[in-house]
Amino acid sequence: MNLVEYHVLLALAGGPLYGYAIMSAVAEESAGTHTPRAGSLYRVLARLLTAGLVRETEPRTAVPAHPGLERRYYALTAAGRRALAAEAQRLKRTAAVAEKRLGVAPGH
Amino acid sequence: MKAVLVGLVRLFPPAFRRRFGAELEADVAHGWDAARSRSRSAALSHGLGTAIDLMRSALAERWSPTLTAPAPTTTIREEGMGTFADWLRDLRVSGRGLRRSPGFAAVTIGTLALAIGVTAGMFSVVDRVLLDPLPFAHPDRLMAVLGTAPGSQLPPEFGLGSEFYLQYREQSKLIEDVALYGEGTSTLRVGDHVERILMAWPTPDLFSTLGAKPVLGRLPVQSDEDSVTVISYALWQSWFGGDSSVIGKTYDVSYGRRTVVGVMGPEFHFPSDGTLLWNSSAIREAGLVPGRLGAGMVIRTKPGVTPQALTMELTSLAKRLPDRFGGSANYARLIGQFRAVVRPLRDDMLGSVSRALWVLLGAVTIVLIIACANVANILLVRVEGRHREMAVRQAIGAGRAALARLQLAESLAVAVAAGILAVGLAWVTLPLMLRAAPPGVPRIGRVHMDAVTIVFTAGAAIVAALACGLLPALRASAPDLARLRESGRGTTRRHLWTRNGLVVAQTALALVLLIGSGLLLRSYSKLSHVDPGYATSDIFSFQFAPEQPSLRNGADWAAFHLRFMDRLRALPGVTSVGIVDNVPLDEGTGIGPFQAEGQVADPNAVTRLHYTFAGPAYFQTMHIAVLAGREFTREDNTVDFGNAVISRKAAQALWPNQDPLGRRLKPSGDSTWSTVVGVVNDVLQDDFRQPADPMVYFPLRAADPNAYRLSSPGYVVRTVRAETIAPEIRALVHEVAPEAPMYRTYTMSFLAQRSMNQLRFTMLTLGVAALLALILGVVGVYGVLAYVVAERRQEIGVRMALGAEAGQVRRMVVAQGARVVGVGALIGLGVALATTRLLGGLLYGVPAIDLSTFAATAGMMVGVGLLASYMPARRASSIDPIETLRGE
Repeated sequence: MNLVEYHVLLALAGGPLYGYAIMSAVAEESAGTHTPRAGSLYRVLARLLTAGLVRETEPRTAVPAHPGLERRYYALTAAGRRALAAEAQRLKRTAAVAEKRLGVAPGH
Repeated sequence: MKAVLVGLVRLFPPAFRRRFGAELEADVAHGWDAARSRSRSAALSHGLGTAIDLMRSALAERWSPTLTAPAPTTTIREEGMGTFADWLRDLRVSGRGLRRSPGFAAVTIGTLALAIGVTAGMFSVVDRVLLDPLPFAHPDRLMAVLGTAPGSQLPPEFGLGSEFYLQYREQSKLIEDVALYGEGTSTLRVGDHVERILMAWPTPDLFSTLGAKPVLGRLPVQSDEDSVTVISYALWQSWFGGDSSVIGKTYDVSYGRRTVVGVMGPEFHFPSDGTLLWNSSAIREAGLVPGRLGAGMVIRTKPGVTPQALTMELTSLAKRLPDRFGGSANYARLIGQFRAVVRPLRDDMLGSVSRALWVLLGAVTIVLIIACANVANILLVRVEGRHREMAVRQAIGAGRAALARLQLAESLAVAVAAGILAVGLAWVTLPLMLRAAPPGVPRIGRVHMDAVTIVFTAGAAIVAALACGLLPALRASAPDLARLRESGRGTTRRHLWTRNGLVVAQTALALVLLIGSGLLLRSYSKLSHVDPGYATSDIFSFQFAPEQPSLRNGADWAAFHLRFMDRLRALPGVTSVGIVDNVPLDEGTGIGPFQAEGQVADPNAVTRLHYTFAGPAYFQTMHIAVLAGREFTREDNTVDFGNAVISRKAAQALWPNQDPLGRRLKPSGDSTWSTVVGVVNDVLQDDFRQPADPMVYFPLRAADPNAYRLSSPGYVVRTVRAETIAPEIRALVHEVAPEAPMYRTYTMSFLAQRSMNQLRFTMLTLGVAALLALILGVVGVYGVLAYVVAERRQEIGVRMALGAEAGQVRRMVVAQGARVVGVGALIGLGVALATTRLLGGLLYGVPAIDLSTFAATAGMMVGVGLLASYMPARRASSIDPIETLRGE
């Protein structure tokens, strides 16, 4: 799993979102280090859909965010949730190793 | 731009588009809008980034579809177009490859750099002159308003009068602000410094309408009446050295005293680029005479008002003008026919040049496309040459994507080098181009290389890389492994078709440009052979405006100028001297309603004529033919008052099919009649494109010494020394009027040249583009045929061994070239048929679809194409059959 995929899953962990909102969330949560453009984002989404980590869903609210524009919402599947958790664990472990090797005291 | 971005979504494969297309398009559009609302540069960089991402993703999706790919379990590896590091590595490999084949690198990089450079240069002109918003607040709400009155004698579109301004200002519900203005040259005196400069006479609300603020001082208000003036930044710097104490000082401005109250910023130009001064004057209803038309009007609408709604309202408000302001029956009839013409201010200010600039940008873009086709062709040859290498790479495990990437990296390396070179090229050529640009192109002074141009160049280079690299990349990614076993020669039909197709496209596009420049060339030739009604050689013209206490009235003025004419005539080499108020091609004349004696049937019938004032010997000096009667004499200006000379068209308009000599005419509303003593040939006053206007010439003065006086008539001096006589005349002027500078010094031949500048500039630029296109096209034809001949060496050798004559072989090759060029020329003719009308108003005396121009240029294209095919044909026919057969 690459970091953009990780961030897309991370964004969807908060609840279903549509494409443009995912893009904005990824840019924000990665502090600007990952700013996927529309073309790339939908390829990532397509891969995650094919892999069964993400599924299409009904919007949470009855009122659409952009009236007149039909938005498709995406949500995590159970497998997606597990994959995200596993990846987060892995990142945490590697971060701990990095801190140890660099001689930086772990957080808290 | 947005449409282009959304259009790029179509590059994705259909399956992907069915699933995500709508969302993708919506997000792309939304992203563009968001970036656009931030700033122009944000929009540009966002647009470029998104475009590249869309192309990249679409290609990647086609190589390795994400939707149908077998579902991986937990790890997903980035496939397809490879990582950034892969690209970097391939770029480095390509860079090394380019250094190894300097000839290939020089041709491809040079071709692309030239094409990208001129496109970038032209783009920066279009960007600055046409695309930049006007430097006013909310420029989209600014409208220029004119009038039209079909069926009247007025020109198709005309400026409005003060009564319209008052009516609209007080009664329109759709406008926020409105201003009226006039413009002209008049004198400004600051101490000893006197000059005629371009100034405007606006109502005080011009500045609030445009939303402009002064950098110093204040703006005029209604209560200032006619006592104040606002100066431009340029005048402030050049005449006052940027000294802020200028505020509050009073100077002689255009025959009045005005106090400087404000200085505008350097970006403020209105209505012309060179307007230096704004003499604000308030309009009052008391004493207003309706029907004095011709002023410019600018309106700021309320938000959301459409031009259509505004047109309706302004037209219907105008219908009530006679009720409120009175006026003649004629005026009432005019208002009955009146309709308002509303146009965005931007179109009004830039309309005249926008067509020429868009045509030129189109032309250089075509050159860029042709250059890309050329480079693509050369790259294809190279791919053919590297076929074995590619096949080997594939055999040892390189994927299709990797092979395509390697090939694309090569074109990218070429384009990057070309882009860098192009920026340098544009940097050098842009100032040259601007110097060649005709005067009067608004905002041309603001054009320079900037970040936008460089971003555009980068974008153009990347697009060019894709355009010329895509075909070779596809070709490279599918090497035919079976051919590894053979000796590796022979091109399949399909690949030859690709290359022939490229040459066909090149030929067609080059022909379109050739036809366009051919049409302009013919227009130019027609225009330079127009007979304006006067001579344009051996005439020097100038003006000066003496300001002396002894020059109190018309009689004194006339006497002064007649004396000075004698002084001029005494100069060596001067054969004749004349005076006219408006020198043709330099200044327009006045226009007004006239009445002819004897038109008693309708005492209100008027004829609109142009008028100016002329001294003795004007027509003789200008070589304007006197058709009947005589021209003005000295006596017409000193004792025998009340005579007039009219032009042939004026005679036709006033007294159709009658002898006008001895008949009388007068300005409508005036009481003194003038008697026609001569009829002269029509002259082209403003430029060579417009037909001549009917003209009335009056003498320099009337019987009443206070009737009128010419503040600064134009002198015309006939001499073979027209180019060099200026210093002598300047000395003479200084002698009789030390206070008055000599200005507007031209030769008539210069004025004639100047009137054709825009056409000449467009013609030359388009001509250069067409020439480049022709050369590139010829190189393309030659390249393909030379390659074909090399490929078919053995075959031709066998043919000749079996008895084919050299002539037969030559014909075979030339025929192949002729087919390609012929198809290209046919397509080019079709495209030209549909597009030459874009040249529209640039053409003169030549229809947009001019058969002889079409035939001649197409013939030239085919001829040059055949010539280009003949060289490879000769090489083919000199093949030695024994030699080639031995090689088998």
